[in-house]
Amino acid sequence: MIRLFLFLIIAVGIPAISLIAFADHDTRTANVNLICGLMIGLISIGALSFGKGTCWGWDFGVFALRFGVDGCTRIFGILFGCIFLLAGVFSLEYMDHDHAPHLYNMFFLLTFWAMLGLSLSQNLFTYYMCYELMTVLSLPLVIHERTDGAMKAGMKYLGYSLFGASLALFGFFCLSRFCNSTDFVVGGSLKAAASTEPGVFLFAVFCLLIGFGCKAGIMPLHFWLPTAHPVAPAPASAVLSATITKAGVLGIIRVIYYIVGADAIRGTWVQYTMLTLALITVFSGSMLAFKEKLMKRRFAWSTVSQVSYVLFGVFLLTGSGLQAALLQVIFHAVCKTALFLTAGAIIHHTGCTYVSELKGVGREMPLLMACYTLASLSLIGIPPFAGFVSKWQLVTSGMEVFGGFGIAGGVVLLTSAILTAGYLLPISIDGFMKDGTIKAHRKPTWRMNLPMMVLSGALLLLGLFPHGLLAVMTFIGELL
Amino acid sequence: MELKILSAVLILLPMASAVFIYHTRKLAHLLTSCVLAVELAAAVMLTGFVGEAFELPGVCGLGLNFSDTGLQSWLCILAGFLWLVSGLFSGKYLKQDSKNNRYYLFLLLTEGAIMGVFLSADLFTTLVFFETMSFASYPLVIHHGTQSAIRAGASYLSYAVIGGMVSLMGLFLLWTLLGTLRYTELAEAVSSYNGDSKGIFLAGCLALVTFAAKVCMFPLHTWLPGSYGEAPSPATALLSGIITKAGVFGIFGLTAKLFEGSHQWGNLILICGIITALVGGTLALFNTNLKQTIAYSSMSQIGFILVGTGMTALLGEENGLAVWGSILHLTNHSFIKLVLLLVGGVIVYNVGQLDYDVVRGFGRGKPALAFAFLMPALGVMGVPGWNGYISKTMIHEAIVEYIEELEHLGEAADLYHVIEWLFLIAGGMTVGYMTKLFVCIFLEKNTNPTVQAKYDTQNKGYASKLWLFLLDGCALMFPVLGFGAHATQDKIAAFAQDFFGSGVEEHIDYFSVGNLKGAGISLAIGVVLYVGFVRTLIRTKDGYRNRWPKMLDLENRLYVPLLFTVLPFVGAFCARFVGSLFEWASKLVNKVLFFRYNKYVTPGEDHYFARYKAEDPGVRGYRGQLAYGLALFGTGFVVVIAFLLISNGFLF
Repeated sequence: MIRLFLFLIIAVGIPAISLIAFADHDTRTANVNLICGLMIGLISIGALSFGKGTCWGWDFGVFALRFGVDGCTRIFGILFGCIFLLAGVFSLEYMDHDHAPHLYNMFFLLTFWAMLGLSLSQNLFTYYMCYELMTVLSLPLVIHERTDGAMKAGMKYLGYSLFGASLALFGFFCLSRFCNSTDFVVGGSLKAAASTEPGVFLFAVFCLLIGFGCKAGIMPLHFWLPTAHPVAPAPASAVLSATITKAGVLGIIRVIYYIVGADAIRGTWVQYTMLTLALITVFSGSMLAFKEKLMKRRFAWSTVSQVSYVLFGVFLLTGSGLQAALLQVIFHAVCKTALFLTAGAIIHHTGCTYVSELKGVGREMPLLMACYTLASLSLIGIPPFAGFVSKWQLVTSGMEVFGGFGIAGGVVLLTSAILTAGYLLPISIDGFMKDGTIKAHRKPTWRMNLPMMVLSGALLLLGLFPHGLLAVMTFIGELL
Repeated sequence: MELKILSAVLILLPMASAVFIYHTRKLAHLLTSCVLAVELAAAVMLTGFVGEAFELPGVCGLGLNFSDTGLQSWLCILAGFLWLVSGLFSGKYLKQDSKNNRYYLFLLLTEGAIMGVFLSADLFTTLVFFETMSFASYPLVIHHGTQSAIRAGASYLSYAVIGGMVSLMGLFLLWTLLGTLRYTELAEAVSSYNGDSKGIFLAGCLALVTFAAKVCMFPLHTWLPGSYGEAPSPATALLSGIITKAGVFGIFGLTAKLFEGSHQWGNLILICGIITALVGGTLALFNTNLKQTIAYSSMSQIGFILVGTGMTALLGEENGLAVWGSILHLTNHSFIKLVLLLVGGVIVYNVGQLDYDVVRGFGRGKPALAFAFLMPALGVMGVPGWNGYISKTMIHEAIVEYIEELEHLGEAADLYHVIEWLFLIAGGMTVGYMTKLFVCIFLEKNTNPTVQAKYDTQNKGYASKLWLFLLDGCALMFPVLGFGAHATQDKIAAFAQDFFGSGVEEHIDYFSVGNLKGAGISLAIGVVLYVGFVRTLIRTKDGYRNRWPKMLDLENRLYVPLLFTVLPFVGAFCARFVGSLFEWASKLVNKVLFFRYNKYVTPGEDHYFARYKAEDPGVRGYRGQLAYGLALFGTGFVVVIAFLLISNGFLF
């Protein structure tokens, strides 16, 4: 009973609060509403995550909406909640001189709502619904600035997302011939028919994977990321980069492990193609980030690369690979939020957007840049920070399964790590060591510093003691 | 008290106190000194726990392993001692510096990390702390914040990142092939491994890279002159004296645990070592900058240690001499470089510059400083009676022993004869460049009389009492260690040999004719080099000239262009090509859809997908409609789908 109540709070309460936040033109109360909504969402999803999952469903003839809690919900739901809350706290200061904070607050909360729904979805139809909802509701965040560039970027974001989603939908239609149901069942619910028509079956799976991969920024469908991220307000970019890309990852995990089963595509061309694409993306993303001059676009390219680390782990189709991928999901989300929030603080307080303008920024905002440095060390994979743990596990689990592919994976991941150092560390070094003309109008207050400190502290702690996270991931054992 | 608590004190105390000390204002130096003293005491207490080990499962993913062997506790003591002396020295050195709290922060962080390296019991733990140490020491290198310091720091950091990642790859391979990285289990895992041993050798080579870069093994030494030259002198003393030794410890671990008795590995390390010794010596002979000369000297001396390490693998079971030689040369080199670089620090503090022409004559009439310089100089030259002589002799004897063994077995030993001679020549180079330094600073007069007069007025008060006490106190150690070798160095080596598992059993007569002969040859070569090369080519009438050809600057002629221009260009070109495929495809679809209709439809000009002009110019017809384009696209789509379905046998 109490669980249903919690679920209803998420389902109905958050949109209600978002409407109140929208109606309130007084910034102060609107902000209070925003934080309340985020807190309520986080607490509800946290409370729901304890205990075994109950399923709530409504059938509408052919289709059925199903929500429930399982292992993936715990990880993704709580991750989404934490990231949104921290980015929300940050946006209190970031949006204080904005032209329409109430609009921003509303869509920020609604996107959060769609993403919680996404993590709670228990069949492919529900997932698809929430997925499209998330795309549409996050679009106003991308075009929030109302500039020409922002509008264009928003259209590109929409175009790519819809293309990806319709590809996934196409795959979904083809696949329904081969599945008993589209509910998320551990190990999948494949009919025997799949083995008689492997060509169509694999093609359908491929469409689904590429379609969801579009949100995760896998090449060749990655181009919306470097276009959409730089134009959105920084906390929104953080959320886009840290969580919305992960919605694609969650979709892929659901398809592979809960619809078709890992065994059905192990050793097929689908697996090898996806692994190759993931590795190409890892390298290209880092390479282009290394060449990029605009700070936020650099971080967006970095997301392209880092999320494909996750996909590499997922497509290994082993328990250790999936575990490494989920670790990377969490660590990348935390790191990338920290990076985008730093970018936001710099833009908000100094107005600088290009990497070359950042000389001396460390003297203006020492605490923030120190946190940035910790986050970038983690993203590179320097021990003892969190990124190191996930990268170690990714490569070793790759090598366990595939000799050649594993070694190629190791080489690509480490090359990318070197490039990551090449595009992140110069910002710190220039910021702390060089003299520049950069000047902050005001010092960042606790509303910017606190999320950064929490994020970088979490990276150190999670890197030193990943046991707790691994305990949450024991459900992986059942999937294979 | 347990080893666990002691390790926590050694590793965590400096790291935790660093953050606190960073926020204190005037007390920073005092508090740092206290922490450093506690660290040294804790390191000494480690000797009571030899043979113990513990693990922290799950930390950093794989779990950290720590152990305490004789070698490890000795290295910790060395680190503690060097840090204390350098820390005490830093106080006055940094007095005018506004950023000295940052210096102490990273000084302590680096100490904690290096203790972690020395206490580690598996390669994973070693690498974790090694990388931490590399990054924590980076702010020490760029402390002065000048342009050249930042450039030197970039080079240092690049080596740390790239080397670290390559080594990580080696560890991945080892972990996959062997299933363990613990020093105690590696030997067994290798012997029970039944695959191709090439894989393990390759993995070992990759794992070697970051350690090799830190010890400046040729050709990974190019960061050395910049970083050593730009860092504040007390930090340079640590870089050269002990941070390089963390790299040596990693190489020891690979050699003694993974490649025990492997000739392939032994030859690799031996040949790299002798090249390093020769290149370092040559560059030091050419160089005309005080700190850079000492830096290249470090490189050369590490070459000697590597030769010894290579011999431990080649000699197999009977490697006692090589083990002792490597450990003792490591020890001696740490002490020697500490004092030499701190003397360099005194000079920088007073003069501000390091070129030979500037510092020339500074040491005249400063006997305390001259003593502090001469003792370690004699030590590093290998003059009989000083400490370096003992360790060099042992390594030399190890080579001789291996040659005898090979000849006894009737195998060709030509290569090792060559290496023996190269070893002696490298020893001669040491004599040559140390003489060059000593003569320049302490014997010659500056070419500019006013400068010399200024230097002479500084004969009192050029250094604080604490500095001279530290320097001369440490300098006194070298003859004691040398003349009393049996009472001091033998004990140290016997205590630290357990990491390799073998040592020297019999009593060695260090001053026998045979042993003195080697040192004599080196000294003679040194005199020839000094008189024949330095006095004729480097020291000219107008001062000292560095005649090293600019073409041979590996870093600026090869590494930097390759890594920062050529490779990124090629990589970015490929990445852009792959990344734009879909964009091009969508542009193409756009073109097909809006074929010839630019007059009515203007895609891209507006933020909505397309806009239709209000006025219709009148051209009508089937091909004039958007539907035509859509129909084209739809037909293509249907054909593709049909093809896919048919080729998969779905329709027929």
